[in-house]
Amino acid sequence: MNRILLVARRDFLQIVATRAFKITVLIVPLMLGLVMAATSVVRPPPTVAYIVADAAGHVAPVIERRVELEYQRELLRDLSAYAARWKLPPPPEAGDGYQMDDAAVERFIAHGGAGGALARMHPPAGATAFKRQPRPYLRVAVPPDVPVDQGAESFGRAIAPYLANDIETPQGKRPLAVAVYMPARGPLRLWTNGRNGSGLIDMIQQERTRQQRLALMAASGVPPAAAARIEAMEAPLAVSAPPAGGGRSQMIVRSFVPLALAYLLLTSALITGGMMLQGVVEERSNRLLEAVLACVEPRELMLGKLIGLGAVGLTILAAWIGCALLAAFSVEGVMADYLRPSLAALNQPWMIPVMVFYFLCGYVILAMAYLTIGSLSNSMQDAQAYLMPVMMAVLLPVMLMANSIILNPSGLLPRVMSWIPVYTPFAMLARLGSGVTVAEILGTGLLLAVFVSAELMLLGRVFRASLLSTGQPPKLGGFIRLMLRGD
Amino acid sequence: MTALVLDRVVKRFGDFTAVNDLSFSVPEGGVFGFLGGNGAGKTTSVRMMLDILRPDSGRIEILGRAPSRANAPRLGFLPEERGLYRLMTVLDTVIYFGRLKDMSAADASRSAAALIERLGLGAWANTALEKLSKGMSQKVQLATALVNRPRLLILDEPFSGLDPVNQGVLEEIVLEMAKDGATVIFSTHVMQHAERLSDRLLLLARGRKVFEGTQAEARAQLPPRLLLTAQADPSRLPGVTRAIASGAASDGWQEWDVTLAPGHDAAGLLQYCTTNGFALRSFDLYRPSLHDVFLHLVGGA
Repeated sequence: MNRILLVARRDFLQIVATRAFKITVLIVPLMLGLVMAATSVVRPPPTVAYIVADAAGHVAPVIERRVELEYQRELLRDLSAYAARWKLPPPPEAGDGYQMDDAAVERFIAHGGAGGALARMHPPAGATAFKRQPRPYLRVAVPPDVPVDQGAESFGRAIAPYLANDIETPQGKRPLAVAVYMPARGPLRLWTNGRNGSGLIDMIQQERTRQQRLALMAASGVPPAAAARIEAMEAPLAVSAPPAGGGRSQMIVRSFVPLALAYLLLTSALITGGMMLQGVVEERSNRLLEAVLACVEPRELMLGKLIGLGAVGLTILAAWIGCALLAAFSVEGVMADYLRPSLAALNQPWMIPVMVFYFLCGYVILAMAYLTIGSLSNSMQDAQAYLMPVMMAVLLPVMLMANSIILNPSGLLPRVMSWIPVYTPFAMLARLGSGVTVAEILGTGLLLAVFVSAELMLLGRVFRASLLSTGQPPKLGGFIRLMLRGD
Repeated sequence: MTALVLDRVVKRFGDFTAVNDLSFSVPEGGVFGFLGGNGAGKTTSVRMMLDILRPDSGRIEILGRAPSRANAPRLGFLPEERGLYRLMTVLDTVIYFGRLKDMSAADASRSAAALIERLGLGAWANTALEKLSKGMSQKVQLATALVNRPRLLILDEPFSGLDPVNQGVLEEIVLEMAKDGATVIFSTHVMQHAERLSDRLLLLARGRKVFEGTQAEARAQLPPRLLLTAQADPSRLPGVTRAIASGAASDGWQEWDVTLAPGHDAAGLLQYCTTNGFALRSFDLYRPSLHDVFLHLVGGA
């Protein structure tokens, strides 16, 4: 094994054995897990219960029918998206996917609902199974201890404890979201738990309004069939939209991997750069460099550190990406919705090497800055004083650019920054998914390669000259002299 | 064959000349003392031998080749400023330096384990260095210099920071290395160590060589000194340049510290005294130490 790899291996093994490394590797999956757990805790339950006390028996079936129609309408919409995703014939009742009136939904139900539609679609073998969302509202019987014949106030008092807690349903205990009381005479009364019932209340109000309009039209002498047609009428809209997975959504999805890489580059370079800085400052303050330099050229030491710490950074990235993929695969549909289309951005054979090139160059640019600062500093305090302005000069424009790229990847700022070598890796990585010209890739790549070579040579001289120096770190003039002459 | 040659070597740091026109050679085998006070240029010279620093002018040859890391497999080096990777274990540290000197993993492991045992660190082989005492860490550092059984061992102020017991251990190792045919060069400003160990030595002052040769030749640099007990003042005796009364007179006898002029020897003076009736009760030849030589040669530098 040559000396560069020996240095790299030592630095790698020493860092991966530290507690800081283990915490760094675990922190992201841990946070991810915590966020997922917290989300599942605070997410509203998918199904809530409602009860209808309807002595006359006129309102309950109407509400139940409306709830069912709205549920089936959502299913039809989901099936339409599923068909588009797998390039299958959509259910004919779905129309353009935007306007599905009650009659269309009723036809859908009559044709066997989701089961019938899926049987007619014949999804291919590789397609994920269509996942039916659970029914949002489930009607349960009025609890026996709640009086339905002693007036609304009495009903309201008796139902209050049930609204505060879960109620038994055929699917187990569920929150009671809404209680409807329809007296023999007078307006319909509603009680809600204040958390899960707003959708259902809207539905009930719309349905009641519809029923009253129909009654009013009937009283005005409009024939029932005509009244029903008037009530069901919707103004036609011609909606033009990109196909599912296309348009801006496609651009965002396709940019996902390159954008994520740009952020990961920044994160991993900052983390490993910090480790590198600490390592070099420690080696200098521990006075152990002289013994090492008797066996290893400063250039070998520098390259060994770049490789070793680069491997640490890649290990961290691999762990994070592995956990993210695991989490993504565990959430059904994410693979199909996001990852597959975003990986499609990599379907051009040159894309992966180009991304690797920008990634490595970005890492070397930042890592060399850290390494040089470490070689110039007698203590971490010295190092922080140097680091602050350097990092501000790198991070602030990158942050500014990140926002600009999300708004418009081909905007002036990202395009200009693509040609400034320090920012090229971040700008180009972030823009790759949204389409950049081959000329831009070749031009910025060439400029970047020249810059990185010059950086390695010039900062390498500073590194070599500073390793065993004592006393105060050089000022700007001394630093430039070190870069140009190396002594 | 010479182990080391420096030929008119100059090294400057800005306006300061650390090593000035330094020339000397060290034959292969034996122990060579590289002596000088603080700031004399010892460490700078050592760094140039190891190619850690490059001379501004002059030529250096080490084991027949120009200084470079290619020499590392045949060299051992113990720097003055010592430190090790705190989190590495004793064994891993010694193996690591063996590997840096081009040893195979198996050879480095074998040699490291044997050295660690020999230096009395066997029980701590798998202990992280941050948990060891300073003396133990210094032994580990010595092991990193010796792991490749070097042909040339360069020790820069090797005794600093070591307690007397460990100084004895190090002296033993140095002598043993030399006995086995290796060349040992060690820099020091403590003359007692040089006196005990070195066959030949070089004295540096302000970057310049002030002496190179054997210990006897070094001592010969000083005018002979005698301690006499006499009744009369010996300052008028032939060859005597200075006579200082020392101690109290007793029954008419006085002790004298006598310095002879260069070229005069003690035997000639004794003969003169006996043939010319100059009464003597004692006549002792004072053997100058290297410390005296150092002060004589460097003191005014």
